Amino acid sequence: MTVYKVSYVEIGVKHPGAIVNSSKRPEVSERVQLGSEVFKITEVFDLYPPRGNFYYIHASCKPFSSEDKVEEK
Amino acid sequence: MGIENILQNIELFNGLLEGELNQFAAICQERALSEGEVIAVQDETGSELFIITKGLVEILVNDKQEPYHNRVVANLGTGQIIGEMGLVDQGLRSTTIRSIAQPTVVQVIHYSDFLTLCEKYTHIGYIIMRNLAADISFKLRRTNIVSG
Repeated sequence: MTVYKVSYVEIGVKHPGAIVNSSKRPEVSERVQLGSEVFKITEVFDLYPPRGNFYYIHASCKPFSSEDKVEEK
Repeated sequence: MGIENILQNIELFNGLLEGELNQFAAICQERALSEGEVIAVQDETGSELFIITKGLVEILVNDKQEPYHNRVVANLGTGQIIGEMGLVDQGLRSTTIRSIAQPTVVQVIHYSDFLTLCEKYTHIGYIIMRNLAADISFKLRRTNIVSG
């Protein structure tokens, strides 16, 4: 099974971000819930090459806003 | 899902053979945390490594600007390990760890059991120490991005 170790970094807000394993690679524009808060992913890149089944990913996020909800429709 | 299946998806054990993974499964103790429960306190001694298998914890450090105030520097979720620095350098806990979701479940491994296994079986020891270094590298790269 492929495992994506993802470092979520929140841009422009006082949120500590998170490191979480996922079975799915995060994509730009997707929503992600970290604790009780929801964010929109704005950037994704590999931190370094994969080893075995493990991929090492950075994802920048911003708070999910009402404009984002409109865009999704 | 058995503990061996859970450990298979933890980076720390990446590259271990099935039998080797079973040896680690045998020294894991599952512990369920209630929301707000603290499992490690900064500047205190620690003797356990934690593997998060469900939920979320927050990592707090004492704020030098505001004594007695803790600052959250990151949240860690499924698959992440805690307490690896103490395992490597035998120092005091560098952060305080608190559960922020319920249920949060961790696998607890005592340093002494962990190191005994690594010393007895050098292939296990090599793989684990390489993976530990990779985990610390990942966290360092993240810190560089956050502080850059």
